[in-house]
Amino acid sequence: MADTAQATSALVRRNGPSADLAIVAGVELGSAILLWSFLLSDRTAVIVALLALMGGIFAALQLRPALEERIVAAFHDRKRFATLLGAVIVLIYPFFLQGSGYAFHLLIVSMLYAVLALALNFQLGSANIPNFATGASYGIGAYTSALLALNFGVSFWLTLPVAAVVATAFGFLLGFPSMRTKESYLALVTIAFGIVVHQLLNNFDWTGGPNGLVGIPAPELFGHSFARPIEAFGFRLPSQANFYYLSAALVGLSIVCAKRLHESRVGLAWNALRADPLAARCQGIDVVWFKMLAFGVDAFLAAFAGTIYAFYVSYISPDNFTFLVSVTIMTMVIVGGMDNTLGVIIGAFFLTMLPEKLRIFSDYRLLFVGVVVILFLILRPQGLFPQRARNYGEHR
Amino acid sequence: MTPLLEVRGLTIRFGGLVAVCEVDLALNPSEVLCIIGPNGAGKSTLFNMISGIYRPSAGTVHLDGRDITGWPAHRIAAAGIARTFQSSRLFNDLTLIDNVVIGMHSRTKSGVLDALLRPGKARAELEAAAEKAGELIRAISPDLHARRNTLAGALPQADRRRLEIARALASDARVIMLDEPSSGMDDRDTDALMADVRRVMAERPGLSFLIIEHDMRLVAALPDRVAVIDYGRKIAEGDFADVRLMPRVQEAYLGQKAAEHA
Repeated sequence: MADTAQATSALVRRNGPSADLAIVAGVELGSAILLWSFLLSDRTAVIVALLALMGGIFAALQLRPALEERIVAAFHDRKRFATLLGAVIVLIYPFFLQGSGYAFHLLIVSMLYAVLALALNFQLGSANIPNFATGASYGIGAYTSALLALNFGVSFWLTLPVAAVVATAFGFLLGFPSMRTKESYLALVTIAFGIVVHQLLNNFDWTGGPNGLVGIPAPELFGHSFARPIEAFGFRLPSQANFYYLSAALVGLSIVCAKRLHESRVGLAWNALRADPLAARCQGIDVVWFKMLAFGVDAFLAAFAGTIYAFYVSYISPDNFTFLVSVTIMTMVIVGGMDNTLGVIIGAFFLTMLPEKLRIFSDYRLLFVGVVVILFLILRPQGLFPQRARNYGEHR
Repeated sequence: MTPLLEVRGLTIRFGGLVAVCEVDLALNPSEVLCIIGPNGAGKSTLFNMISGIYRPSAGTVHLDGRDITGWPAHRIAAAGIARTFQSSRLFNDLTLIDNVVIGMHSRTKSGVLDALLRPGKARAELEAAAEKAGELIRAISPDLHARRNTLAGALPQADRRRLEIARALASDARVIMLDEPSSGMDDRDTDALMADVRRVMAERPGLSFLIIEHDMRLVAALPDRVAVIDYGRKIAEGDFADVRLMPRVQEAYLGQKAAEHA
C-alpha cells in the first residue's frame, strides 16, 4: 500500500500538470473511440479483437496498480476538465454514429441500465442489501407514467416525478417486511416482490394484462416532439437522439446523486451496515431506517429509468420487467464493481452491449456472454473498477 | 450521588437457561468498574443487555436517572453508551478515519435530502467530523494516525482494539464499555491501553468506563472497583485487593478443591 502511494507520488512529481491533462483527455477520448468502434462494427473478428484489447487494458491495470493510481490521481486533480470534456463527448457523440438507429438504441438502453445499476448500487454496493426487485421498481415507474399519460393525458415531464414518488412508496412498502429478514431470506422476500409485481401487471385489466400498454405518446419539449429528428448545424440526427440526450441527462443526474450520497453521512452509514450490522447499531445507526432509505432511493431512480423507457419504446408489457431483468442489473453491479460509480456504469454498458454484439453465436450467445464475464472477473476479481476509499480534506 | 449507570436485577433467560440472574451494578461518574469472572460467566451477555443488543427478561437499566431498559441499540448508543466488542468489530473495508467518523453518527445530522440538495453543508459536516476523527486517532496513537487512510481490515490485533476505543470515544459517550480490551495485547500494549484510559478520563470529566477483563495486571491497577460474576450472578464487589481474597471468588476461578489449598 505504502509502496504504491510512494510510486504514485513519484510519478506525479515526474510529470507536471500538463501530463494530467493529457492523461485525462487520452483516457476519455480513448474510451469514446473504443465504444464507438464496438458499437458500429458488426464483424465478429473486430468485436473479438476489441474485447481482447479491453481485457488487455484491465489486465494491465490489475498488474500495475500504480498505473491505475496515476490515472485516478490525474482525474482527481483535473476534475473540472474531466467533467467538461466528458460532457462535450456525450454531447457530440450522436453526430459520429452515422445515423445508425441500432447504435442509438443500444446506447439508450445501456444508459437506462446504467441508471438502474446505479440505483441498485445504493443497496447492493453500499449497504449489501441483495435486492432482486429493482426490475419491479423499474416496471412500477414505467407503468405509472404510461397509465398517467394514456388515461389522463399527463405530460411526460410531470409523470417523471409522480412515477418516482409512486415507486418510492412501493420501495418503502417492500422495505418494511424485508426488515424482519436478512441475507438470503431478504433476497427471497425481494424476489417474491418482483414476481408479485410481474404477475399483477400480467393479470390486471387496467394494466392491459399480458398485452401491456400501447401507444404511449412521445414527450414534447418547447414544442419539439421527441418523435421528430433533431436538425442542427446542418446535421440531421434520428429521432432517437432526443432520448439519447434525455437518458444521458438522467445518467448525469444519477451520478451526481450517487456521488453526493456516497460522500455523505448516509453513504457512510450504509457502508457501516454492509461491513457489520451489529457494530453499526452500536454506533447509533438506525439500521432499519437506513435499509428502508436504500430501498426508497433505489426505487426512486429506477422509476425515472422506467418512465424514460416507457416513453422511448412507446409500448410496454410485463415481460419487460421480469425477475431476469433484476438479475441482469445485479450482475452489472457485481461485474462493474460494487460501490464504484464509474464501475457500475461500465458494467451496465458492457453487459447490455455484449449480448447484442455476440449475436453471431445465435443460440450460444448467452453462453459466450457468460464466458466473457467470467474471464473479466478472473482478470479483475473485485469487479472492473473496485470500491475506492474516501478522501477527506481535499476539497477547497 | 446518583450513579451515572444503574443496573438493577438484570436477568436474561435463553429458553430454560438463565444466563444472567439479578445482577445489580452502579457506575458513578468518572469511575472505572471492572467486571471479572470465568469464561462463560455471563459478562458479555450483561454488556449486550446494557447496550441494547439483547432485551433483558427482567430488571432495569438507568442512564443518568433515565430508564433505557429495552431500548433499541442505536438509541442507547445515541443516549451515551458506547462499547467495544470482545472480537473487535471494526468496519474492515473502510479506512480508519471512516470507522471513527461512523462513531460520530448520532452526533451528526445530515440525511438523504441534505446530501442531495445541500451537498455543501453535508460535506462540511463530514469534513469536520473527519478532522475530529483524525485528532482522536492521533491522540490514541501517532502510528495509527499515519495509517488513517488505509483499511481497518489490515490492522494488527492491538491496533484494532485501539481504533475501536477511538471509535467509541468519537460518539462523546458518557459510559464506555470495553469487552476484554487487552486480549491480543502484550504487556507494553496493555500499559499503553491503561495510560490511554487514564488520559481520556482526565480529558473528559464525568466519563466512566465499564471494563470486562481477564488480565489481572490491568484489573489490579486500573479500576476503582471490581465486580465478580460467576454463573450469571454477581458474587462479589469491591476493592480488587479485598475481592481477590474472598473464598467464593477463588472458588470461581480455581475450583473448590484448589481454593481450599490456596
